[in-house]
Amino acid sequence: MYVPISEVLLGITGKDFVILAASKAAMRGPTILKAEDDKTKQLNEHTLVAFSGEAGDTVQFAEYVQANVQLYTMRNDTELSPNAVANFVRGELARSLRSRNPYTVNLLLGGVDPISQKPHLYWIDYLASLARVPYAAHGYAQYYCLSTLDKHHHPDITLEQGMKLLEMCTDELKRRLPIDYKGVLVKVVTKDGVREVEFDNNRIVKSA
Amino acid sequence: MTSLLSHNPHTNSIGYSFAQPTNAGNTEHSYTDNGGSVLGITGKDFAVLAGDTRSTSGYNINSRYVPKVFKIGGEDETGKDAHILLSVVGFAADGLALKERLDAVVKMYKYQHGKPMGVRACAQRLSTILYQKRFFPYYVQAILAGLDEEGKGALYGYDPVGSYEREQCRSAGAASSLIMPFLDNQVNLKNQYIPGSGEGHALAARKPEPMSRETVEQLVRDAFTSAVERHIEVGDGLQMLVITANGIEEIYHPLKKD
Amino acid sequence: MDQLVRQYTKSPHQNEFYSEQEQHDLTESLPPLSLKFALPPVANHSAFLRAMTDDHSNPNCPIKLAHGTTTLAFRFQGGIIVCTDSRATAGNWIASQTVKKVIPVSRLSRAEDKPGSAPVPGLLGTMAGGAADCQYWLRYLSQQCTLHEIRHKRRITVAAASKILANLTYAYKGYGLSMGTMLAGVTPQEGPALYYIDSDGTRLPGNLFCVGSGQTFAYGVLDANYRYDLTEEEALELGRRSILAAMHRDAYSGGFINLYHVKEEGWVHHGFDDMNPIFWKTKLEKGEFSNVTSAL
Repeated sequence: MYVPISEVLLGITGKDFVILAASKAAMRGPTILKAEDDKTKQLNEHTLVAFSGEAGDTVQFAEYVQANVQLYTMRNDTELSPNAVANFVRGELARSLRSRNPYTVNLLLGGVDPISQKPHLYWIDYLASLARVPYAAHGYAQYYCLSTLDKHHHPDITLEQGMKLLEMCTDELKRRLPIDYKGVLVKVVTKDGVREVEFDNNRIVKSA
Repeated sequence: MTSLLSHNPHTNSIGYSFAQPTNAGNTEHSYTDNGGSVLGITGKDFAVLAGDTRSTSGYNINSRYVPKVFKIGGEDETGKDAHILLSVVGFAADGLALKERLDAVVKMYKYQHGKPMGVRACAQRLSTILYQKRFFPYYVQAILAGLDEEGKGALYGYDPVGSYEREQCRSAGAASSLIMPFLDNQVNLKNQYIPGSGEGHALAARKPEPMSRETVEQLVRDAFTSAVERHIEVGDGLQMLVITANGIEEIYHPLKKD
Repeated sequence: MDQLVRQYTKSPHQNEFYSEQEQHDLTESLPPLSLKFALPPVANHSAFLRAMTDDHSNPNCPIKLAHGTTTLAFRFQGGIIVCTDSRATAGNWIASQTVKKVIPVSRLSRAEDKPGSAPVPGLLGTMAGGAADCQYWLRYLSQQCTLHEIRHKRRITVAAASKILANLTYAYKGYGLSMGTMLAGVTPQEGPALYYIDSDGTRLPGNLFCVGSGQTFAYGVLDANYRYDLTEEEALELGRRSILAAMHRDAYSGGFINLYHVKEEGWVHHGFDDMNPIFWKTKLEKGEFSNVTSAL
């Protein structure tokens, strides 16, 4: 199974929000097909996933879980919590893993629990591992950003601090990754739902 | 040179024999593992180097008494007046070749300089000997022991191509993964804390102190009797060499023979 | 020509005992840090070595070599900080947790640290990749540096020392050496100088390098907080914290944090400290590593 790890996914939680960032380059082999790609999907009012992986699988799988989460909400007239959605997604991945044609998709799932109002971030990989974490990354971003996040993250940071932290991460990727991932698309989940936020991808980063 | 090689060296028509390596490309049989384990521990004024005496190839036991610990720089076959110990595990033939070579070097040093080679110098020399075969390594893990300039026990552990480090204790060979954690805990007192010295992370760790010779010998026996229980390539006998200012003492202790 | 013919007309059993030269080499008591290496009797040396020793391409390889791991060095206004972990692994086995990956390269080179805290003149080398390769070639380099001092009556520059090493690794390119090393030193000619040299033959001067399997994690912390005008205190702490980050995220790094500061007068050792208490101190006092929790 081929998982393109040059795609960047980052997730950061704070006091009352989750930031998800995904690289905007859609790559196939040596080519960037599109530089404004959106690798995220809103599953319901308060949950958002960012995904990367095998071409085709990614969008198919995201749309599949999105449709099923919405179907559940319509049938039962209740919204699933981020925790419930994460476990549902994991279950679907696990089922697919033992099928003839498994989905090769890595995901970050972020949401704010509508009842407790607590932010949740889940790290899910294509082998259906699920872990709740305060910050997460997929692909090469794991190697470059997790140590930065280890040092600078605190669970009760504000959104501004969260965005600063994200900037530290993307700065490091710009400095050290020999790949142009065309910047990141940033979305934030709060108790009011999901929104896209402005992010300056054109900053010039100085190397030591 | 070029003119010679422009002839096909493989044809015998010229009339000279061309020394050809016979096993070119076939490297499968260059090495075998003869099993067994060794271990060394140092004390304030002594060092112990011990190894089991079983020799195996695959599931076969070749012999129940093939020593793996050698005296280096001694006068004759008995190793009289030797002041350095070497143990080797892995491929016994390479081990023996290495021992012979180091022994020769240590002897030559004595004849040329008129004084015995210090263990620190010997340790570095062994490293270069191993590295001379960096591209066709001695398939061995070596441990060198002796007494340093101050008379303290000295122990050096090696990898097959000669990276080395002075340590308090070291185990090598088949059962090293069983013995080394035991040594970490019992010799360096890893993960041992003083009871009641604090809560959680405030707990004070026990500090390792130099051990008596009796304690060390008992630890060595315990390590080997335990390894014999769980590893098929270890057993038959325990050969223990203890080096002190008074010379080298050899102790044999039988192990289970199954 | 006659000699060549004679060489190839030996009787078939001539090779069965050590030649005079070989006997001499075997018992030579001065270690010849020369370039005479035994080669396996096969056509393709590097393929043979790979089959025997490279546990990445062949997990069942019979000879497991010790490998080094996270090392970093950076220049700042007060000199150069050099910091490493201390773990050596052979496959999944932790071969040692107490490796000294900073090797003094100078006439006064000794494996042990000097008692007392007076600066020791000379260069520092770091060790990543094959432990034996780094130890041996840095030892060879010390010898060459000493010879340079004797011949020229002045200390070698870091540029020249690094070039000796790079030429050496380039000469052995393709033989399967594995080393990623940094040379740090302060000389009157160059000021603080830092070079990266690896077994591919690369040689780069620079301000900041991290080498080894944990390099990316160390870069993550180092890049974000690095400034040339760091104070000595800040620089030492940053070096230590960057290695801690790598030890936390990279399984092949761990053990003790080995910290050095290279100044004009020479290098100073700032400790070989167990990472565990440092980790818990960092977490509990500064609130970092918020991913480490016992809460479900």
